[in-house]
Amino acid sequence: MIHTCSRPIWGGSMALLDVQSVTAGYGDTEILRDVSMQVRRGEMVSIIGPNGAGKSTLMKTIFGLLHPREGKVFFDGDDISGLHPYQIVERGMCYVPQVSNVFTELTVAENLEMGAFLAKKGDISARKERIYDYFPRLKERRNQRAGKMSGGERQMVAMGSALMLEPKLVLMDEPSAGLSPKMVGVIFEQIKKINDSGPAILIVEQNAQLSLQMSDRGYVLASGENRFEGTGEELLNDPEVGRLYLGG
Amino acid sequence: MSMQDTPDDAVGRRHDDRSLRERIGAALRSRVALGVALLLTLVVFWILGQRNGASLSDLLSLTVWGIMLGGIISLGAIGLTLVYGVLKFPNFAHGALVTLGAYGAFTIASFLPRGPVLLPFSFGWELLAAMVLAMPAVSLVALVVDRVLFRPLRQRDASLVLLAMASLAAAFFLRSSIYLIWGPDFLFYYPGRANPALHLPLGIRIQADQIFVFVLAMILVALTWLLLERTRMGKAMRATADNPDLAQVRGINTERVIAWTWVLGASLAAAGGVMYGLASQLRPEMGFWLLLPMFAAAIMGGLGNPVGAIVGAVIIGIAQQVSSSFINPAYGPGVAFVLLVIVLVLQPQGLFGKGGD
Repeated sequence: MIHTCSRPIWGGSMALLDVQSVTAGYGDTEILRDVSMQVRRGEMVSIIGPNGAGKSTLMKTIFGLLHPREGKVFFDGDDISGLHPYQIVERGMCYVPQVSNVFTELTVAENLEMGAFLAKKGDISARKERIYDYFPRLKERRNQRAGKMSGGERQMVAMGSALMLEPKLVLMDEPSAGLSPKMVGVIFEQIKKINDSGPAILIVEQNAQLSLQMSDRGYVLASGENRFEGTGEELLNDPEVGRLYLGG
Repeated sequence: MSMQDTPDDAVGRRHDDRSLRERIGAALRSRVALGVALLLTLVVFWILGQRNGASLSDLLSLTVWGIMLGGIISLGAIGLTLVYGVLKFPNFAHGALVTLGAYGAFTIASFLPRGPVLLPFSFGWELLAAMVLAMPAVSLVALVVDRVLFRPLRQRDASLVLLAMASLAAAFFLRSSIYLIWGPDFLFYYPGRANPALHLPLGIRIQADQIFVFVLAMILVALTWLLLERTRMGKAMRATADNPDLAQVRGINTERVIAWTWVLGASLAAAGGVMYGLASQLRPEMGFWLLLPMFAAAIMGGLGNPVGAIVGAVIIGIAQQVSSSFINPAYGPGVAFVLLVIVLVLQPQGLFGKGGD
């Protein structure tokens, strides 16, 4: 395996995730153009931007569901562009898709077990208990089929499954989509708690205000290009960002 | 239900607005209605049999034989439903895997020393050993076919129709290979060996072999169920069938899941082929003629649902056998087709399928 160090940035700290000038798309359409971004260890980073800006495409490209045409993705020092998702999961990155992110025909417990498919057999129940500590609701309903649960509960199952392998980085695609305002608060609280317990989080959100408030840093993506970057506060207070993307 | 019902309609009014015809239509298109219709079909078959001079004990025997046949069909139907669930295409080559299992065991048994007959059955240990060896052999064939035919199509995101057509091509290729290797004549595992019927209460006559076939089929079915419900790979199969994209995201190596699905499906098909060959004789077309009953059973149970496939298989097995009391047994697959049409008209999702109303 080629071990390549990513560029040192921000005073020499090595980025956990380093997206370098990535261009990607489907078929003939190019959706991302020359996008670069980084996530450091333990950091929470938001990507905001209008619909069709390429946020989900960026997530999929990072996670190997889509391969970059140009540019590279480095994770923990290794070039992961071109790897299969399961090889990326092995390296400690998990992904919570926006829709159909649970196995509806499987029970809650089975969903969690599938999240730890790559883990050693012995410690799966310990891992499950850890997730039940985060989401006590899931313990109550562990034998229920995930398809019969509410949107918020499904989001918990999806997040819990992604955390089963104790990843270094969790990608979350619109975790608040389709949830009631009250549930959005609950879910974001959980995300903050997860982030505090160790893993870095890269989150794509329509709900830019809330997401930026909680994030260490953010990127603004528009028409497939990286327009702004800065700390969450900087972006929230930037008049241009506000005018264009925060509806304020 | 109907287009004119807007969400802001009062709940009370909505029921009155639905015309009687609509309500009858909806009731007819339910799982319960389908179950009743299938049972009624069986009853009609019984009555038709009796009209044609079959005695009660004849009909009972035929019903029991039908349950046995259902056991064999279910071995094929489970494989079909699993492959459909995980790979999302109807595998028309599944019948050829059944035939291959029967012929493979024939050849393997011919190399094994012939042991004593296991009374009251008509076969010896060598046939059981041959069946156990034929299962991995047929699995290997299925894996090779997947590697050279289906995997390249899968990687190019081929449509369901293309994959189904490819499987039809594989079916013809395998069938022709069987003709080339073993010839077109009927073969018997034990030519000329007698297999007298046992006499059970109520005048039911049944061969010991048939009981063996059914018990073995049920054991294999139970093992398959345990595998799907309890093991890591079984759960991964169900997860992949449920949501292949998410399975990848969760770190499941879907190509490995697909490989194990072929191994499981082909092993069950091979075992089914040996049992079918034991219950009748070996013909190059035997699996091809089982294809329609297998598909009908899988669809009746709800495609992708292994337990449903077993129920469907038993219903079709009984219908085929009982129908032979009033029509030529050669029309068996036609009977399966009639039941399939009933399912597709009343409840296309089947008895235990996903979705529907």
